[in-house]
Amino acid sequence: MRGTTTSSRYITWGFVIGTLAAWETGVYFWDIPVYLLPPPTLILRTLVQNAPVYLQSSLVTFGEALLGLCVGTSIGVFIAVLVTFWPTLEHGVMSLAILIKSTPLVAIAPLLTIWLGFGWQPKVVITALVTFFPVLINVLVGLQTIDSGLLDLFRSWRASRWELLWHLRLPHSLPYIFAALKVSTPLALIGAIVAEWTGASGGLGRLMWLAYTNLNLPHLFAAIFILAAAGIALYRLTTQVERRLAFWYLSSQ
Amino acid sequence: MDIHVKNLVFSYPHSSLTVLQGINLYIPSGQFVAVIGQSGCGKSTLLRLLAGLLRPTHGEIHLNGTEAHPHANTPTLAWMGQSPALLPWLTAYQNVAMALRFLRNGNPPLMSPAEALSRVGLAAYAHEYPHRLSGGMQQRVALARLLVQGAPVWLMDEPFAALDELTREHLSNTLLDLWLWLHPTIIWVTHHIYEAVRLADRILVLSPRPAQIVEDIPVVLPRPRDENHPGFNAYVTQLRKALFATNLQGGLTYAGHDDE
Repeated sequence: MRGTTTSSRYITWGFVIGTLAAWETGVYFWDIPVYLLPPPTLILRTLVQNAPVYLQSSLVTFGEALLGLCVGTSIGVFIAVLVTFWPTLEHGVMSLAILIKSTPLVAIAPLLTIWLGFGWQPKVVITALVTFFPVLINVLVGLQTIDSGLLDLFRSWRASRWELLWHLRLPHSLPYIFAALKVSTPLALIGAIVAEWTGASGGLGRLMWLAYTNLNLPHLFAAIFILAAAGIALYRLTTQVERRLAFWYLSSQ
Repeated sequence: MDIHVKNLVFSYPHSSLTVLQGINLYIPSGQFVAVIGQSGCGKSTLLRLLAGLLRPTHGEIHLNGTEAHPHANTPTLAWMGQSPALLPWLTAYQNVAMALRFLRNGNPPLMSPAEALSRVGLAAYAHEYPHRLSGGMQQRVALARLLVQGAPVWLMDEPFAALDELTREHLSNTLLDLWLWLHPTIIWVTHHIYEAVRLADRILVLSPRPAQIVEDIPVVLPRPRDENHPGFNAYVTQLRKALFATNLQGGLTYAGHDDE
């Protein structure tokens, strides 16, 4: 997404509008029933007519996703620092992390709903569980692949491990954190939705589940549209913040 | 500050290879010492031991008569390596200022980062990030960072080796000016014979592993030194011969471990 030119922006929009137009035309041309595939104009109309409901549900879901993302990212960074400080922990901690990572989301989500109820808590836990792993893996690389010349310099200054962490290792892992966030922000949305799907008192996932059980495809697609837009927006936001904070990395490429 | 190295021996843990074998060395305060030897001979290891980056297997290093401890928080030794080792997220000024954080003796610093940068000719580039600077300029920032520490001993591990001929000459002139101004004790590892003769008071030639001092040559030439001076070439010839001899000797024992 770096250095987007005006022409590539036109191409992107052209592609989006072209796809929607083809979709709309296809639905009318082949006379596809609305319970199989609603046309985009109907989906957009549904969105506008139910704007307050979608807005309120979106806020619930995005709130859960962002909170979970923050928790997951913090845990990922924390574990990476822990393993960097005590390398003997690496094997055990990484095994546990991979175990958590490879347990299917759909298996944990209902359990957490049973334990923690229909509120926001299980959603945040699920989102944190799916987002901590990419952060952990990337930040671990960032913390440990320090140039030996820099390590020599800091050792010649007799820097403590905390000074080494604060002045060298953490800033060096910033680009790695952003690489992880580009993967984990979309995962956070998925995590929140899947968690809501297994039982929730609010949110886009619950709307989708209701729409699905009633075969109300315009409502289902409306939620998908919102999620797609949110995914793109969050990715853009991540790259914007990255450009501000990890500028040295991007401009030295 | 003088340096006294007594019977220094170093081998890596779990390795039968002895890198340094019984180095004895006295360096008086303010001397500019070049350490020369073929690649992988252990000259960097000697410097790293002096810097406290490695612990000696046997032997002692005394600074001004007291034994140096690798974990002592004394800002007596300033280190400069082969790469500029600048923090890419900090400007030239901030990189130099970073060194001041680690001066823990509470004394006011010898000079400000701005002054250090202007001493190496980078006053105009203080607020540039490293990726905007050329390799030579980055190494100048590293030199300013060395300077700002106000240390009485400078340990330099082939600091200009990665630079082109002309840039290297400019930088070594800057280094010479700084030395003439502050007179720190400099121990400077190099494999460049001309540069060693041009800059140093004294040149130590190291044989390959286990490293031993095979020649200890005082350079008595007036400064500024002229490469066309007959005395200059005599030193170059002497060093060439000494290095060639270590090369023949080392050909059999060199195990291919290159620490540089």
